[in-house]
Amino acid sequence: MPPWLLDRIAAADPQYPTAAEAARRSLLRDGPMREWRNAAEPPPFAERETDARTPSILAESVRPDRRISDAGGEESLPGRLVRREGEPPTGDTAADQAYDGLGETHRLFARVFDRDAIDGAGGALEATVHFGDHYDNAFWDGERMVFGDGDGEVFRGFTESLSVVGHELAHGVTERTARLRYSGQSGALNEHISDVFGALVEQYAMGQDAAAATWLIGEGVFTSAVQGRALRDMLNPGTAYDDDVLGRDPQPAHFRDYIETTDDNGGVHLNSGIPNRAFALAARELGGFAWEHAGRIWYDALTSGRLRPTDGFHVFAAETVRAAEQRYGADSREARAVDAAWREVGIEPPEPRA
Amino acid sequence: MDVIVSRSGGIAGLRLTWRVDVDTQPDPDRWYVLIGEIPWEEAPAAPPEPDRYTYRIRCEPHEGAAHEDAGHEGDDHEPTSPKPHDDAAAEAREATLAERQLTGPWRELFDRVREAAEPQRGGRAER
Repeated sequence: MPPWLLDRIAAADPQYPTAAEAARRSLLRDGPMREWRNAAEPPPFAERETDARTPSILAESVRPDRRISDAGGEESLPGRLVRREGEPPTGDTAADQAYDGLGETHRLFARVFDRDAIDGAGGALEATVHFGDHYDNAFWDGERMVFGDGDGEVFRGFTESLSVVGHELAHGVTERTARLRYSGQSGALNEHISDVFGALVEQYAMGQDAAAATWLIGEGVFTSAVQGRALRDMLNPGTAYDDDVLGRDPQPAHFRDYIETTDDNGGVHLNSGIPNRAFALAARELGGFAWEHAGRIWYDALTSGRLRPTDGFHVFAAETVRAAEQRYGADSREARAVDAAWREVGIEPPEPRA
Repeated sequence: MDVIVSRSGGIAGLRLTWRVDVDTQPDPDRWYVLIGEIPWEEAPAAPPEPDRYTYRIRCEPHEGAAHEDAGHEGDDHEPTSPKPHDDAAAEAREATLAERQLTGPWRELFDRVREAAEPQRGGRAER
């Protein structure tokens, strides 16, 4: 049985206590085996083997600590607390979507990446919904995820999309790890990381492999009036929408088309298309579940402690190749796939920094 | 004088631009007073918040406006101080603010702009 399905059954214990218990046991038993099957060769370091076992053990014990607040259409934070961890659904769609989305995101980080919440120490996951009046956005303010309801003409509510919820939470993870400065190339990488984990949350929750995945970010946030599929397309940047009102998706898919601009903190939501495509290409080349290889490599690079806040595309590319070599071996197919994916988007990974 | 507000960023990375010709508004003097009150050189600094909007606010004098005003300033015999809007009309001004910083007179100006004009979407990213 695929691990994502086991995870989902394991997490569903109130309804299916017996199945959930069985699934948890299976996860514990199979976790290390899955690791070994996926690795092209035995892990280079003994501690890697230990690392590989940890996620399922961690997943046994950790629960998210979610707190959802309602801003009631005002632009003030945090708003009124409407749902705490373990409380029943409120009946408010946005509040319950945020609660569920944070649960899915927590599950991916805990079970796959051995990370308990944003801070890695089980800290609260806080979100505010119904922020502002027809507010067309969702953001991370350094403490919480904030979601607007959309204007109803172009945008529906931003909690509609699991990849958007995952995207926002991942901003918190980046802030606690590589601290990529939100400007220019490092800012586009910050955005890229959020798109990667936003997409992976959705794929993990739906049990999609890299070939079946849509690679869309924000599917479901546009109204039916918009000619578009999503906010972004990681695999084919620049093709997510083409609409009379919105214009055409402006994301570049190759480094030669990098956009120099003063808008948007230096085009952080535009140029993220370049690394996004590299990730999707690597994941599809490797096949299977993206969180089991490309996702781990990217998470390793993000949390290695080797990235500096102002690092750009080339340094990051080198760090992902290095992370792939560390985890899977120097000439592993994983390392080769990551290297080739960067080259395909016009980034030649340099030697990693000493 | 045109006031142009360009909002970029946001999780969607979509740009909206509002443009208001202050001189065709019913109360141009109030606009000029407000523009004169804004501390353009002291836009507060704040670290960007991921996915939050960035506002670029510009005042563009119309062709010839700066010239007229320069002549005005050079008139030593003019006994009365210039009206506030003469000052405000003279120079191009620009500031970039994070959404959290859009408060006080900045917010008031943006709210007025939003009331007076429909936004235009998209267009090429500004260099």
